[in-house]
Amino acid sequence: MADRQPFEDLYREYLGRIYAYVRAQVGTSADAEDITAQVFMNAYQAYPRFEARNTTPAAWLFRIARNATLDHFRAYGRRERLRRTIEHQPEAVEDPAGQAEERIQYQALLAHVAQLPERQRDAISLRHSGLSFEEVGKLMRCSEDAAKMLYHRAVKALRESVRMEGGA
Amino acid sequence: MSEQDEDLELQALQRQLDDAFETTRPRRGFEDELWLRMQSSRPARSRIRDAWAGFWQGIRAVPAVPAAAVAVAMVVVIGVVLVGYSGILRPGGMSSTTGGSALNAAPNNRYAGDFGRLPSPVFPGQKSAGANGSNPTAPLAASDYAGPAQLTWTGHLDVAFTIAPVFRYQEPSTNTADQFASSLGAPLHGRPQGFLGMYETSDYTLKVRGTVASPPSSPAYFIFSNLSMAPIQAAGAGPADLASVFLAEHSLVPQWDYTTVVDSSGDPIKVFYQRELALPGGTSAYLVNTNGDRYGLEVDLSNNRPVLVSGMLPVNMDSATYQIISSDQAVRAALGSSQPVPVAGTAAPAVVLTQAELVYVLVPAGDHSFYEPAFMFSGTVKINGSTLTKRVLVPAVDPSQRTP
Repeated sequence: MADRQPFEDLYREYLGRIYAYVRAQVGTSADAEDITAQVFMNAYQAYPRFEARNTTPAAWLFRIARNATLDHFRAYGRRERLRRTIEHQPEAVEDPAGQAEERIQYQALLAHVAQLPERQRDAISLRHSGLSFEEVGKLMRCSEDAAKMLYHRAVKALRESVRMEGGA
Repeated sequence: MSEQDEDLELQALQRQLDDAFETTRPRRGFEDELWLRMQSSRPARSRIRDAWAGFWQGIRAVPAVPAAAVAVAMVVVIGVVLVGYSGILRPGGMSSTTGGSALNAAPNNRYAGDFGRLPSPVFPGQKSAGANGSNPTAPLAASDYAGPAQLTWTGHLDVAFTIAPVFRYQEPSTNTADQFASSLGAPLHGRPQGFLGMYETSDYTLKVRGTVASPPSSPAYFIFSNLSMAPIQAAGAGPADLASVFLAEHSLVPQWDYTTVVDSSGDPIKVFYQRELALPGGTSAYLVNTNGDRYGLEVDLSNNRPVLVSGMLPVNMDSATYQIISSDQAVRAALGSSQPVPVAGTAAPAVVLTQAELVYVLVPAGDHSFYEPAFMFSGTVKINGSTLTKRVLVPAVDPSQRTP
């Protein structure tokens, strides 16, 4: 407890990464903001109980983010997400104000990530948010090796998705 | 495609993914907005705990400090914590006065201490400094009486404390207004005279205004819906619930303590969120205008559709404690405030003041304005067969700590 870094340091360090992770899961920057806010609100409440010896701050925060994202999909159902996927509704139509300010490159690539099956999407998002395969495995309740395999399958699926789009 | 080419392609894709995740960041301002929201949602006890943690860290950082010096420092810090946080050291704590108390002020303002001599509030019927006439007042309700009266007091006023916090805020700028509008996703449309900004979305027009000096009025925002604003869908919900749904959907739920009051007597139905400010001893006081009407935020609903939302613009505030006058002094000041009868030979109606409470009033003062405590006395009077309410406001901060 005594050596724990102030929560604000954690917040400043991880806000961007958590946002990127959530943003890759959900369709709009508005949803990403709401979920990110929920993540850090929850983390803020739970920080006094955080045990650094049991897990890293990154894994702890990403676990909260993952749960919040799953809650989001549970709450709103996948209907809306599927609709966006089917219609390929561009972000700009949904969220012009957010898009104008959001700092995001490779938007099309992230849109492809968002369309992957849930576990593949999760593996790519967690891995490229800076987590080790061991941490990804723990979060996804599988072994490190299984996390690696899942990730590599996800990247190949992503490549196929990008290829199909390019060929369409 | 050879296996090697495939590997290269996958590696390139992974590099793009790295870039994609590294460059995906929230919009400007989101980080600070969220941090402020988190701060405002903190329980009071955790804020105090942090203050202690900071204190102990400070001691650990200077191990050579003799024990006696540490003991002296502790006494000082305890004093600062008790005074600075006097508004929250009460049973249950103050749940939220976001952007409205010292607790939410920037760290360097947390122990702002004395603001110096405060400007005096000027109430209806009193002469303002340097002015000859009476002060403009906010529009009176039909049931209020603001005329001269012969005042007597039969109530009981017992204030258990001798100090009360005074809150101060910096006058909001166009930047403040733009940030607020941005948080709602409302792009700037222009800056009409008298407003910090006007913003438009497909559903509504937002106008943001700074402090108004006369009659005193807090920085505020106004949301005027247009015809595309849909009714709020919430089966079985009453007006207060509908208003809350709308506010929640637009991240406008007040971050300060409030009491909700619904006026369903007409169309639109009005839902009021009356702002309260924390006082020592676990009590709170309403924020009132110069007529004594409580205010904070109002949502007007017509057929479940929000037609107007007007609320206090969130501003950061710091606080300092000031000595206040005694109950007896307050009663004497109230009774002494009887206004002269405008026509000689006519008698002012007799008003028996029966109730009194501590309230807060806005005192505009240029770059920085204040919310200062005041005593509000009230009683009823019959005028032409109608029962009207007479209110008398008296500044509560000790005159020695105010400018004349």
